[in-house]
Amino acid sequence: MEFTFFFSQFMSGLTYGMMLFLVASGFSLIFGVMNILNFAHATLWLIGAYLCFTFWSLMQSYDIALWLSIPLAAVTTGAIGWICEVVLIKRLYKRELHEQLLITYAMALIFGDLIKITWGPTDKLIVRPPIIQKPVHLFGAPIDSYFIFVIFIGFAVAVGLWWFLKFTKYGHIVKAAVFSREMVNALGIPIPRIYTWVFTLGIFIAGLAGGIQSAIGSITLGMDMSTIIQAFCVVVIGGFGSLTGTLVGSLIVGEVFSFAILYWPDGAMVLIFAITAAILVIRPWGLFGTPLRA
Amino acid sequence: MKSKFLGIVVAVALLLGFIISGNVAAAEPYHLGVALGFTGTGTLYSKDQLEGIQLAVEEINAKGGFLGKHPIKIFQQDTQTKPDVGVRTVKDLILRDKVRAVINDYSSAVAVAVKPICREYKVLHIAAISNSENITKVNYSPYTFQVVPNTYMQAKAASYAVAQMAQKKGWKEYVTLASDYEWGRATQEEVVADLKRVAPFLKVKKELWPKLGETQFTSFITSMMGMKPDFVYACLASKDNVTFTEQAKPYGFFDKIPYVGSMQSVTELITEAKTLPRGLVAISRAPFFAHMDVPMMASFVKNYRAKFNGKYPSDWAVMGYDAVYALKQGVEKAGTIDTDKVKDVMKGLTVDLTRGKLQFRPIDNQLRCSSYVGVVGDDPKYPFPILKDLIEIKASDCERPEAEIIEARKAEKK
Repeated sequence: MEFTFFFSQFMSGLTYGMMLFLVASGFSLIFGVMNILNFAHATLWLIGAYLCFTFWSLMQSYDIALWLSIPLAAVTTGAIGWICEVVLIKRLYKRELHEQLLITYAMALIFGDLIKITWGPTDKLIVRPPIIQKPVHLFGAPIDSYFIFVIFIGFAVAVGLWWFLKFTKYGHIVKAAVFSREMVNALGIPIPRIYTWVFTLGIFIAGLAGGIQSAIGSITLGMDMSTIIQAFCVVVIGGFGSLTGTLVGSLIVGEVFSFAILYWPDGAMVLIFAITAAILVIRPWGLFGTPLRA
Repeated sequence: MKSKFLGIVVAVALLLGFIISGNVAAAEPYHLGVALGFTGTGTLYSKDQLEGIQLAVEEINAKGGFLGKHPIKIFQQDTQTKPDVGVRTVKDLILRDKVRAVINDYSSAVAVAVKPICREYKVLHIAAISNSENITKVNYSPYTFQVVPNTYMQAKAASYAVAQMAQKKGWKEYVTLASDYEWGRATQEEVVADLKRVAPFLKVKKELWPKLGETQFTSFITSMMGMKPDFVYACLASKDNVTFTEQAKPYGFFDKIPYVGSMQSVTELITEAKTLPRGLVAISRAPFFAHMDVPMMASFVKNYRAKFNGKYPSDWAVMGYDAVYALKQGVEKAGTIDTDKVKDVMKGLTVDLTRGKLQFRPIDNQLRCSSYVGVVGDDPKYPFPILKDLIEIKASDCERPEAEIIEARKAEKK
């Protein structure tokens, strides 16, 4: 395989992985900190994509429309996440995992129908500004110029979350809550408020990912279901609650898929599910997860 | 005297009863089920198809309905483009809404799943836009009719055009890119087999199978560009088609690799008018601009545009409209709305449709309609690109020989 071809395929995997990371990082963060398995996470990601389309539609005569719409979609989706947490998720903390799954699955279905009512059943398409309509060439390989932005944002979110968890007071509290929420509570730190903001942050990142996704292809109903499954694979491989694990898991899924289609096109997705299953059997807490929480 | 009076009363009552029941029978509406994928991957096409159906129903009802006395009542359901949901919704339509015919679906997988249900309950099943050949070729149901050129016909039509180009341009190797589901697999299989026959010098370099509803084609795009085939033959439909095109463009894919065989219905030509790469060789199922010389098509386009705010009808609207008019002509020929009688007369029936005078082939109830191959290009008559240099490949040139269908059915029984 010539280098240019290899590099081009590697970059495709990296982009795919980064998109998955953006969806899965919030999903993993929410589970890791709050122990909530939010099946509606990808549906909120899809809402982010639709919101981005709406903002873009309102400003489409300006070249800057897309760049403004993405953060607006992220903030609006984050606000929806905050409402969800305060109204519903707050009541699920002490429920069993299967109950959480059922309730958040119901949320996914309700949001799915609300999307249909709000935006209609037809697919939506954002026309990219001219600056990202042409490829850029790296080492002779053509790369979609928008994907440079996607990769940059993916790493920025990874670094931003790492910095937040490692160097800020609230990050330390959040990390401590992963291991022992009772102890954090005993120190007088209001866990419910922390949870609300962690959930909002997770959904904000989902909205950001949705906004970014909206300029990659058409936005359509049902996209969320295949995405949540892939996000689930990512966090199982990387380890629930682990930022590093989510990043590595995303890159594994992206690169495995990207190269597998060259050699075994029929089985590219099968391979990803096989890796997920193997991890679940051999190391259920994932590559970078922790076996038990206190 | 008393008994004479009683006799008159009974006679009047019977007469009234007869008149009333006669009137009720005359007013019996024709329940038409429309089970389409209004959500999921088929959304784009199903909505247009419904509009075609609605217009046909409105026109027919303006003249009293079927046979001038059975107004058509539409019962609409969303199959979500999923076979299990399709089966459930069609059962609902049959058992709850008592439909006599069901027009269904965008997805061939749904149509295949629904076919045995319609046969079991003796309800007409019209596959208006789903075109897997297996809907009519195997597991034959006398209740199922197909008014869209099937996968075999489309593949043959496309092969015809590709073989011509390959010879002209000296192409040797190609890659296939097909959605990984019933229609995509069936179409790709036919394409490869047919190209082997009509252009034996062409070799398949790689077969790629993105899943139905794929959102990230990036890896497929770069792998195809890396393989440097002489051309790519794609069998992607609806949203996937749009997504692929949008993602491939920023790579300069269409400038580097000839991309043929993609389906560009009027829906894509309109929705991607500004962005669709010109020069793509595309196949289409029922583009209205191919038959503006047929009075029924000209009238349909005019009425459709009047009803839907100047919008031009897509292939899906054309076929939805044709499905209802084919049914109407079946009912007229049978002289009744009785499903079994309509089904019997529709076998082999020649119908006048927007695409001309076409026959339902007796062996499989497949409408002997044409396929269309052309090059995406602008036309001053329309505010969107159309297929230029259009080649109409008639059913007689691209349908599967009957002997092969008989063989396939024999093999199925074994």
